[in-house]
Amino acid sequence: MPRRKKKKIASEDIPVASFSDIAFLLIIFFILVTSLHKDEGFITEIPAGEKSEAKSEKNTTIAIRNDKLFINDKDVSTKELYQELKELKLGEKKTEDEKMVMLEAIGNVSYQNYYAAMSAISSAGGIVAIVKEDESSP
Amino acid sequence: MKRRRRQKRDVIIPVASMGDIAFLLIIFFMVCSNFVKESAIKLEPPKAQDLETIKEVSVSVAISRDGKIFLNGQEIPDSQAVEWGVAALIKDKATVEGRTVRFKCDREIDKRVFEPVIEAIAKAGARITAIGKEGEEE
Repeated sequence: MPRRKKKKIASEDIPVASFSDIAFLLIIFFILVTSLHKDEGFITEIPAGEKSEAKSEKNTTIAIRNDKLFINDKDVSTKELYQELKELKLGEKKTEDEKMVMLEAIGNVSYQNYYAAMSAISSAGGIVAIVKEDESSP
Repeated sequence: MKRRRRQKRDVIIPVASMGDIAFLLIIFFMVCSNFVKESAIKLEPPKAQDLETIKEVSVSVAISRDGKIFLNGQEIPDSQAVEWGVAALIKDKATVEGRTVRFKCDREIDKRVFEPVIEAIAKAGARITAIGKEGEEE
């Protein structure tokens, strides 16, 4: 006589044994996927408000004219700008007025050049002072 | 002669709580992590040398590639709104870190767009951390 097949009894409990594996897999997945991305940049304090003309005469002036950099009316590259500003030793100056470097943007200036100039000033220990272009000038 | 009996010990690692631990870890990291508010803003940061790693700050201003201005990930109309918004956000912050604003701008943006925004942040009395990317400019 053939044996009667036993009826399988479906177990009613939820399989919890694999839960911890699933959870750890999730953790590992998220650890791998997350990019611990840190922002790079520089910190600068830009003085607000108007500055008198007389004061700005003494300070170094960086001008950006149509995407070309000038330091005290001398045409320089970005690398030279870093060098020139380092030589000024702005970090050793005591008062804020002495540390100030005028930054003037004339014509069409992209943020890339502006950023390079600001970064050069602040890495040399200077304070950026924005000189506004005269609205009336062409 | 004494017979040394090797003791057979059943070492059972308690695995039942592993899943709970793992899930607790997941929940902990989810609560602790802060999400990037500006992930939707498309921009290419400018490049410069000598940049430092920036700590996360609470207020952020961004200008996307198409010249739109964002304050904490929300689009705002103009630089006047930046000044008011930043001033309101840093109003009751006592520390220097509290009144630091993260400024991110696309490298191609023209002066006419970003300069008023930088001035607005300065006028609001905030310190600026300008975000860029370490490297040589092309």
